[in-house]
Amino acid sequence: MKSLHPRIRILWVVRAVIFAVIIGAIGTAGAQTLGAPIWIPIIFAVLLLLLGVVHSLLRYRKWGYEIRDDSLYLERGVLTEVRTVVPLVRIQHVDSRRSALERTVGLASTVVYTAGSRGADVRIPGLEPDTASDLRERLKGLAIEADGEDAV
Amino acid sequence: MLFFISSTGAGGLGGSVLIVLGAVGVLAVTVGYELLYYQRFSYVLTDDTLDIHSGVVSRRDREIPYRRIQNVDVSQNIVQRALGIAAVNVETAGGSSTEAVIQYVTVDAAEQLQTDVRRLKRRERSDTATDEESKEAVAPDREELFSIEPSELALVGVFSFDPRVAGIILAVLSGSIPFVSPALPGDATGVVLFVLLAIIGVSIIALSWVVGAISAVVNFWGFTLTRTEDELQYERGLLQRYSGTIPFDKIQTITIEDNPLKRQFGYATLGVETAGYAPGQAGSRGSEAAVPLATIDRVHRLAHELEEFGIPEYTRPPKRIRIRYFIRYVMAIAVISAVAFAITWVYNITFPWYLPLIAVLLSPIAAHYKWLHRGYWLGDDHLAARSGFWTRQAKIVPYYRIQTVIDSRTIFQRRWDVGTVIADTAGSLSVLGNDAAAIDIDEQEVSTLREELNDRLQASLRKREQQKAQEREQRRLRAIEQQKAQAQGVDVAEPASFEWASPVDTDPESASPKPKPKPKSIDTDSLTPAITPIPSSEDQHQSDTDESTESDTNT
Repeated sequence: MKSLHPRIRILWVVRAVIFAVIIGAIGTAGAQTLGAPIWIPIIFAVLLLLLGVVHSLLRYRKWGYEIRDDSLYLERGVLTEVRTVVPLVRIQHVDSRRSALERTVGLASTVVYTAGSRGADVRIPGLEPDTASDLRERLKGLAIEADGEDAV
Repeated sequence: MLFFISSTGAGGLGGSVLIVLGAVGVLAVTVGYELLYYQRFSYVLTDDTLDIHSGVVSRRDREIPYRRIQNVDVSQNIVQRALGIAAVNVETAGGSSTEAVIQYVTVDAAEQLQTDVRRLKRRERSDTATDEESKEAVAPDREELFSIEPSELALVGVFSFDPRVAGIILAVLSGSIPFVSPALPGDATGVVLFVLLAIIGVSIIALSWVVGAISAVVNFWGFTLTRTEDELQYERGLLQRYSGTIPFDKIQTITIEDNPLKRQFGYATLGVETAGYAPGQAGSRGSEAAVPLATIDRVHRLAHELEEFGIPEYTRPPKRIRIRYFIRYVMAIAVISAVAFAITWVYNITFPWYLPLIAVLLSPIAAHYKWLHRGYWLGDDHLAARSGFWTRQAKIVPYYRIQTVIDSRTIFQRRWDVGTVIADTAGSLSVLGNDAAAIDIDEQEVSTLREELNDRLQASLRKREQQKAQEREQRRLRAIEQQKAQAQGVDVAEPASFEWASPVDTDPESASPKPKPKPKSIDTDSLTPAITPIPSSEDQHQSDTDESTESDTNT
């Protein structure tokens, strides 16, 4: 079982901070216009921040993926633990992509598509760009090898 | 338009002339556009694609490979029926939208197109099949599987309570309550209010029931299902006629649905889901139903006609989970009561807010049935999963249709040591979270079931691959035999010329076997490797069964 690159924690924590700050700012603005005490939204935002940070760290610890003989296996989720088995035969195509935030921490993700209705859900974040393209190429190769004649 | 209207004020008569001119102009442009669209629209059936050329301003040429076509539907609305024309919808996998619409063709042309596409599709699939075979397939054996009876249609209407209508009305009403309440007589007591609410509630239910009944009857009027060699054809509709096909090899899941009422009278609903498209989705409601209502017996027979899955014996979730369901129901009721209480308190009205609490008495029964109806079953080739306390749904998925296997355990499920295993398929309905899922099974079972499903999927795919290879082999052998027969037919004619060519040979017996090898020798060389597999294909079959038993023992 492989874990994600540790730096993904930075990305997730930053995301949680941004979210908490935005909510806090909206809350403070709202409190000021309504004339309510300002400390309520601030405490709320701080709580949100703490929860977000803890969630990000736990999320990193729970994430894992593995390429098995005939399938790709993923494990993730803090509140709801999700484990997914994607048979290699079912892989339609594989993407590796880098969002703006991901680029700033030098990471990339690999997205695996199947014909299933939840296909696009299979996304492995927190990979080094090289690992991501390697994974993409490897999965592509394995998928071609496994060759499902009727993918649908 | 605004410009014309404003100019009338200034120009008087001239203005109204302008309006007429403008209207005529718009009409002319529209008619011209439609005419051009009609003129520019063309479709061609090539050897392996259906080509559609269309567009007035921007031209669009689209080629759809037959292989990708899932369904070809023909639909007619009232106007189209009066004019004797029809619209042909071409559906492909990967998207719930229609890939191409060919409008304004005659009914005959539409049906011709339907059969042509079917034929070409079949020919492409069996690439080695001879022309004769594909010609035979043009007129397949039609067997009517199902035809709705008037009594059944009436029942469909009776059972078609549309909760969405009630929801819409309620949403509209709830928005207007703050405006209505001041209008009520000031001395309105709780009883008056309660009676008023009850009347409104009953009329909403009655209205949505009538709406549901009418739309269901209109939708399923004259519903028939016909079976041909490799597909299911359906036809239905009173105002708008729908007809279409569901190829057997595109069927993803089968759903058998019932509720206590239907069960009581011995009826059930059958749903068939294909990849990316559920038949008759264009309908406003209940559209995914392949058979809206039929006796349980007929539904089961039909379901087995589509997939031979046997009789499922469901494994239920652990019994302790009933307590969880009970708690959940009680919590939901508590929330509803609390909301009712809050409203009565805020608006200061005496309303029996504790009324929903009566339902607490019913929740143990509901919890029990919820548990009773939940379960999964691993058949030889199919996974069956059932769920639902009121509307009970059993989903049957062939293993080889599974796309991904997902297991999830929410924080609440973990407290009860249970989890959910979902078998995701490529159907469009599953977007609504309607996948076959074994919900709330024991934690230990979760992992085993997940791995088991993956293993069975792989085994099933291998089995299918072998079967396909065998079928191909058999088809090739048959083709060879035909060729051989033809070659022999040629042989009969040829010896005369051959004897003429070699009159030296006087032995009559050696003359006839001699020519035989010659025309055939060309063929036999290329065919020998193909002929030998006859015994090996049996071997293959054996090894195939071995494998499946092996995977069984592994479990």
